[in-house]
Amino acid sequence: MPVKPLFYAAFTVVMVMLVAACSKQDEHAFYNSGLVYCSESNPVTFNPQLDTSSTTTDASSHQLYDRLLDFDPDSGRIIPSIASSWLVSDDGLTYTFQLRKDVEFHTTSYFTPSRNFNADDVIFSIDRWRLTSHPYHYVSGGRYPYFESLGLAQNIASVERVNGYRVEINLKRRDSSFLANLATDFSVMLSQEYGEALLQQGLPNRIDQYPIGTGPFKFENYRKDHYIRYQRHQTYWGEQDNAERLIYDITPKSSLRLAKLMTGECDATAFPAQTELEVIRSRDDLLLAEKPGLNVGFWAFNTQRPPFDNPDVRRALAAAIDKNTLLEAVYFDSATRAKTLLPAASWAFQNDADDTAYNPVLARKLLENAGVEPGFTMTIWAMPIERAYNPNAAKMAELIQRYLRDVGVIATIVSYDWATFRRHLQEGLHDSVLIGWSADNGDPDNFYRPLLSCGAIPSGTNRAMWCDNDYDELLDKALQTEDLEARRLIYQQVNRLLYERLPLVPIAHAYRYQAYRNELEGMTINPFGGVRFGGVGKSL
Amino acid sequence: MIQILSRYGVLFILTLLVLTAMSFSLVYLFPGDVLENLTGIVPQNEIQREALMRQFRLDQPYIVQFFYYLSSLLQGDWGYSLASGLPLREEIGIAMPATIELSAYAMLMALFVGIPLGYYAGLKSYSTTDHTINALSITTYSFPVFWLALILILFFSLHLDIAPLSGRISLLFDIKPVTGFVLIDIMLAEGIDHGLAYRDAISHLALPTVAIGAITTASMVRITRRSVIDVIHRPYIVAARSRGVSEWQIFFRHVLRNALLPILPLMAIQITTLITNAMIVETLFSWPGIGSWLIQAIYQRDFPALRVGMLAVSTLVITLTIMVDLFNRIIDPSREKYERATV
Amino acid sequence: MPQFSLYEEEFHPSPWQRTWAAFRSSHIAIVGLILLGFFVIFSLFAPVVSPYNPAEQNIDALLIAPSWESSGSITHLFGTDPLGRDVFSRIIYGCRTTLGSGFLMVVLAMLIGVSIGTFAGMLRGVRSSIVNHLLDALMAIPTLLIAIIIVAILGTGLVNSMWAITLALIPQFVHRTRTFVRAEMKKEYIMASKLDGANKWQLFVHSILPNMTEMLVVQGTVALSIAVIDVSALGFLNLGAQSPLAELGAILGDGLDVAYLAPWNVALPGIAIFLLVLSINIVGDGLRSALRKRVSH
Repeated sequence: MPVKPLFYAAFTVVMVMLVAACSKQDEHAFYNSGLVYCSESNPVTFNPQLDTSSTTTDASSHQLYDRLLDFDPDSGRIIPSIASSWLVSDDGLTYTFQLRKDVEFHTTSYFTPSRNFNADDVIFSIDRWRLTSHPYHYVSGGRYPYFESLGLAQNIASVERVNGYRVEINLKRRDSSFLANLATDFSVMLSQEYGEALLQQGLPNRIDQYPIGTGPFKFENYRKDHYIRYQRHQTYWGEQDNAERLIYDITPKSSLRLAKLMTGECDATAFPAQTELEVIRSRDDLLLAEKPGLNVGFWAFNTQRPPFDNPDVRRALAAAIDKNTLLEAVYFDSATRAKTLLPAASWAFQNDADDTAYNPVLARKLLENAGVEPGFTMTIWAMPIERAYNPNAAKMAELIQRYLRDVGVIATIVSYDWATFRRHLQEGLHDSVLIGWSADNGDPDNFYRPLLSCGAIPSGTNRAMWCDNDYDELLDKALQTEDLEARRLIYQQVNRLLYERLPLVPIAHAYRYQAYRNELEGMTINPFGGVRFGGVGKSL
Repeated sequence: MIQILSRYGVLFILTLLVLTAMSFSLVYLFPGDVLENLTGIVPQNEIQREALMRQFRLDQPYIVQFFYYLSSLLQGDWGYSLASGLPLREEIGIAMPATIELSAYAMLMALFVGIPLGYYAGLKSYSTTDHTINALSITTYSFPVFWLALILILFFSLHLDIAPLSGRISLLFDIKPVTGFVLIDIMLAEGIDHGLAYRDAISHLALPTVAIGAITTASMVRITRRSVIDVIHRPYIVAARSRGVSEWQIFFRHVLRNALLPILPLMAIQITTLITNAMIVETLFSWPGIGSWLIQAIYQRDFPALRVGMLAVSTLVITLTIMVDLFNRIIDPSREKYERATV
Repeated sequence: MPQFSLYEEEFHPSPWQRTWAAFRSSHIAIVGLILLGFFVIFSLFAPVVSPYNPAEQNIDALLIAPSWESSGSITHLFGTDPLGRDVFSRIIYGCRTTLGSGFLMVVLAMLIGVSIGTFAGMLRGVRSSIVNHLLDALMAIPTLLIAIIIVAILGTGLVNSMWAITLALIPQFVHRTRTFVRAEMKKEYIMASKLDGANKWQLFVHSILPNMTEMLVVQGTVALSIAVIDVSALGFLNLGAQSPLAELGAILGDGLDVAYLAPWNVALPGIAIFLLVLSINIVGDGLRSALRKRVSH
């Protein structure tokens, strides 16, 4: 009888279900003991010193590590972290940090620390990116894009141990943004003891793949394209009320992230798409946190490739597009129009800066004068992932493609997966690219220097491949100036210069969003850099 | 019998050789560097490149290269993924069982639901029930699998919230992939609540299995029904009926077995469709199987992964197909090999 | 027959007429045929039928709901997508791309498949055994896999995905033709032609091919439904047609990004693919049972 096997199959399934139906309470406790975060992509490494992409910092900075200093998420002021206090000398060249004594490193299956955090770890962590002679400098590629783009290594004269819990850093020149730089996501504290142990085993590469830090979570394992697992650091020095387990569920598609958030498979998600914000707001079980972001989305030209080395061509292309339309269609009005690189949240924001305007006739004329014939072809590289500063680069590229067609320029859209995309960008294979920048503090130097200075070309943050001595000089001058008003004036000159030479077209400053389920407790949005799950748990 | 076995053995090995040759030729056909396509190792400098070229016999004639390739495949050295840097054998070792598991459950569903329904429809042919079953099956059969999966997600996951939509099990369960089959791995895992884990895994399995299984079930119904109708109109059934053999006896002694025989070879074709559908559905349910792995690899232009992935999937499919064929031939030697039932 | 015929009983409808009569007797088949007819007409006359240019973006009309919803407007029957393109026009053009490319692929696969199949069917001995075995085995490789390989070599694009699907469609034609040719070669009328001195080519063109057309038409509908599903699946996976080219699967895949805000961007192209495949399958099914009825009578 053919019905029989069917019956047995159904019977077995039901039995399994019944046996499996253990007490509701256990189940509840189990599912509440862990936190699942739907992240958007794979981290490149677990050491944020090595990479500026926010995927990397989200997965490492605030979860695995601590910094000497932190930003207060509300006021943006610098507050103590594992440095309990600090002193700045009158000449502004010597910084002394007093360290906490109760900071323990992670104990994991691959490393057991024998001592607490101390001055040696600070020296190890800073010297790694500062000194090319450091044994770990060239491990994992030897590039420290954030520090390189700011030229920080050149400005530090020495990092010295005063005693076990006191460190002194001497600068060569005054740097008004130095403390802010130490509080960013990239200035994390590694374990010197772990570094030594790995050197002895001959496996120094592991330091960035199997990280050891002092943060609220410790690393457990990682499977590319699938997940990252963390466990609670039971002896964390700070206040801790967070979940037992933290899991990053790597989900590149934003629609899928939202779906998982709705079904409760994720408790929080990265970068909800602008189109989905309404849906999240309309649901009672989901919360949406919003803050004006410290970011800028732009369209950069490869200024080393003709004809984009000609400022007139760049201006023509900028005049060919209507930024307001891009804002509406791509950001759904969750962003403000960018005139310069700096968002309004920065103190140096210039409200009356010059801005390009939509003028296809002028664009055509400029192109003709520059000898660019109708039918000229170029590439627009569109970022394959969503970022707050550009939630849908492909769509923006399609819109720009249409605008360019109106002025006789045929654009083709190019995209690769994120890692390949960035590698090819670094090689300068693009004509133009839609990308952006999220800063870690409101200091203007954090925008201008990494994005367009000469030093930022090899470190791979200067997507316009633009090198201009006037510009670099102005930036250096601004850093030497302590007086805010004087600095502000210098940055206005910088804005003017950028408007004239236009290596990139600033498009938008987006708001930052984070969506999470309402049973999460302690979740706050961090305007300065990556997400943090320390202190986040689920209500029972 | 031995002749058949040896014949199929030769056929199998020959096909695998052709496939390996194809996968080897991909090394040269793919864009990018031949050495990287072959090994997945990006040489840091010229000296290392030279050494690798020598090691992989790339400085020698193609035929030598091919045999070296073949021998390293056999020794389990499949190269490294460009994207993750991990050994490909390890990655496929995790991804492949996930796909096999999903496809197997979908196939079981097709067999246990499709064949009985097909028999029923065939026996009651041209009745209302038959028409209903037939109409349902042709409708299901016409669904693009990715859309069906989306509808299932929309309705059961997002609307009713009774089934999760991604992965094999909640990530909160830390289950080491030992065999790669999640239901077995749960059994082997320690320190977790097994009951809870099983329930979680089964709820994760439900939607993708149904999405893949539904379409195969529909084809199964159609195939079985056709076969049964063909059989019940045969003269020997008419003869049996005229001799007064009861309907039950006719069914069990004649129809059941004779209608089943032509279905078997068609199952071989179903395997291909099933695995294709599984590969598409995996990407929608974030099922960590070979399909989503390969599609990820193509997005990342991970050529070594594509080369080996292609070989692994086609080997799997062809092994299954040939096994079904062989089985069919052994239980029914009278049948001419190329004769297959019509849908 | 309208005109008067004295020898009415002598009238023999042609095989095709008999098939058509049997086909017509099934209501479902007729409904399927009409539906398919609609799709074909819409595809052929897409520029005339569609109200907008499918690639035309309209910034002032982003994500307008379909006309039957309260927030919708009659200017866009099926609403618009996130770039302000008219969904109705895109679906019409999508049908054109999907159905058109499907049809092309089937014709191409049929030509190649029949040639190889005939050749294989007429072969004898060891050579035939090897060719047949290899074909059988290669037939088992999934389309998706072939498509992935071709995309890796040549890059994404509708044409490249079409090559992949064509390649995957060929074996079934080879298979059917081979079986058919083998069976026919044993028949007596072939023997008669052979005795008349016909060579292999003449045998094929004059004797086998005319008998094969029906089988090919039925097999063609099966292949067409597979081709349509495959081309849209590849478009959906972003391995086939690329935006802004309108292709049903690609439209559906693009719509996923706004699935919650604008569900019609997913639902409507999905329904279009489903109905298209359903109508092809119904017509194919109807044709097959009509043929079967004719043969059995």
